[in-house]
Amino acid sequence: MRKTSRLGSEARLGWSLVAPALSVIALIAIFPLGWTFWESLHLHELRMPWLGKPFIGLANYAEIVKDPRFWGALGHTAFFTVVSISLELLIGLFLALAMNRVFRGRGFVRAAVLVPWAIPTVVAALLWRFIFESQGGIANALLVRAGILDQPMVWFIETATAWVPVILADVWKTTPFVALLLLAGLQNIDLTLYEAAAVDGANAWWQLRHITLPLLKPAILVTLIFRTLDGFRVFDLIYVLTGGGPGTSTEPVALYTFNALLQNLRFGYGSALSVVIFAITFGLALFYVRGLGVRLGGEES
Amino acid sequence: MLESLVRGRDLLLLACAASLGCSRAANKRETVLTFSGSALGAEGTLVAKQLKRFMQLNPDIRVELQRTPDDASQRHQLYVQWLNARVGNPSILQLDVVWTPEFAAAGWVLPLDRFGPAKAEFFAATIAANTWAGKVYALPWFADVGLLYRRTDLVPREPRTLEEVVDDAQSAMSRRGGPRYGIVSQGARYEGLITGFVEYLGAFGGQIIDDRGEVVVNRPEAVRALEFMRDELYRTRVAPLDVLTWHEEEARFAFQNGNAVFMRNWPYPVAAMSDTAQSKVAGKFAVSPMPASGTAPAGHSTAALGGAQLAINAYTEFPDAAYKLIAYLTAPEQMLERAQAVGQYPTRPALYDDARLKSAIAIPLDNARRAIESATPRPVTPIYTELSEILQIELHRALVRQAAPRAALDAAAAKINALIERTGMRKLMAAASKA
Repeated sequence: MRKTSRLGSEARLGWSLVAPALSVIALIAIFPLGWTFWESLHLHELRMPWLGKPFIGLANYAEIVKDPRFWGALGHTAFFTVVSISLELLIGLFLALAMNRVFRGRGFVRAAVLVPWAIPTVVAALLWRFIFESQGGIANALLVRAGILDQPMVWFIETATAWVPVILADVWKTTPFVALLLLAGLQNIDLTLYEAAAVDGANAWWQLRHITLPLLKPAILVTLIFRTLDGFRVFDLIYVLTGGGPGTSTEPVALYTFNALLQNLRFGYGSALSVVIFAITFGLALFYVRGLGVRLGGEES
Repeated sequence: MLESLVRGRDLLLLACAASLGCSRAANKRETVLTFSGSALGAEGTLVAKQLKRFMQLNPDIRVELQRTPDDASQRHQLYVQWLNARVGNPSILQLDVVWTPEFAAAGWVLPLDRFGPAKAEFFAATIAANTWAGKVYALPWFADVGLLYRRTDLVPREPRTLEEVVDDAQSAMSRRGGPRYGIVSQGARYEGLITGFVEYLGAFGGQIIDDRGEVVVNRPEAVRALEFMRDELYRTRVAPLDVLTWHEEEARFAFQNGNAVFMRNWPYPVAAMSDTAQSKVAGKFAVSPMPASGTAPAGHSTAALGGAQLAINAYTEFPDAAYKLIAYLTAPEQMLERAQAVGQYPTRPALYDDARLKSAIAIPLDNARRAIESATPRPVTPIYTELSEILQIELHRALVRQAAPRAALDAAAAKINALIERTGMRKLMAAASKA
């Protein structure tokens, strides 16, 4: 009896200590989310005051479900996320393994690799657009000279070729970040494991498969969760590079939402789209944390 | 705490009384207008000059300039936010030609009929574009029209039909040392694509929405217009595929560097292209209205209409003073001065008989007048922006060969009809026509 009441007072103290932090979170995260959700239950078109602002329940969500442009955008987002992250993980792992070796100038290489990551996305996107844009652009010139193309082509008018600069730009920009995260993971692996394996006659490939990769799994999963969430919210890169075109065939959900919300000023429908994006990213995060057991904190399982 | 606040306010009042500027603001009788609009470079100097003159003529009215972004869609977004909050400033709004019905239907700008504007003195199309439910809501300040530029050294005679344009382009291209491109224009997926489409559409006798408000953008004439545009890219090959990613400026670069026989563009490049220091085609080009198709009986020469309008904020305290300013800025003298300073076309046909306009706009006055007379407003509807987005996507899909022209236009028509349904347009129009 006395024990529980002491626990209760301790709990109260605990709550009062975290209360300021919780109220900040409530103010900057939960309140806007709640507001957006409330907005999404209304028909609210800033441009059309004659419609009023009636409560329409889940009608906006019903419209989303029936909206082929939304499903298309969802597909493009998933495609972009899967392709770019696979490439980034592969190349990033390779870079991390190389940077993990002891060689002269290692510090310099580690810093140099980060340069693309340091460039603002919009600037990077403009750079890549410039490379691919015109028939006289650098990409066309190189490919024609190398004999890969017979004549210069217009990259941004076909779906398949429009994805090339988008994915390349993302891989170029984000691989360094992935490499660095993986490098941090690599440095946590005890070197004596490799020595022991070498004594037992294991070759490099065997060491990679049975020591490096299993022990790197936590780092890989953390990278995956970061990159998946980023990929799912991709906006600026595609906004600058293709604008979602040709047609809407490279349009991601974030761009579609921006369009509904800020171009067409459809606050109700746009809010519903925002809530859907939030739900999807939240679900993905939950899947990674619960399903794959990513440990974001330092606690031992 | 409260005491010190009160004392602070008293001090402020004292300071106010001492300084002229503050006492002016405190004096509620004075009429203060705020004007927003393009205010960069030469245009800004001109606006400041004209506002100053207006204030000298009307000492009881003070006009302040309120800066707004020069980018049209950013300005639009700001206006909409302010007007949703019922802010009375800026008291005079500069509207893009396609915004007027939207602002009128929303009740954000005042109908001007009670001020008795001389509607007949303006080009009919510029008034039609500013009319919603039978009332005029803005006066045209300057006009922009789509024009056909051609290289006179390669094509001396003005082509009379679209088919002739294509033939002339092909023969000039096939000449030794002829330009790489036949016809350049803006074909990226944005508003510019619609302005180009409107011109081909008119040339084949089609419309997007007809006079009864029916969506007719998938009728045979429209399909033929879109097919013609697509053929220019893939069959007659007079237009490079690059134009599908181009805006106006890329087209201008190509033409100005001597790489194209024809160009569809607005009047603005004339000045830069006449400058021998930066242009390879100075003295070697002419401008004329876009021709009609020779194969479509109902087709007519059509120019897309652009330009700026002036309207009165519905929440302003001073509507009469605001109209006075609009009337002043759209008066013949000010328009002429504007044409001379920045080359923008007057919206009054009478000025095209004025010799002073001749030196201001670098092309023959008659060509300019013919182009504006052939101008067709884009659909005059409050839901234009979303309608345009639908069309932009479907047209672009057809032009990059993701869809057949017929299918793309059917899809566009279905989506526009759904948009009309969703936004309650029919009810709104019925109510507006009764009022």
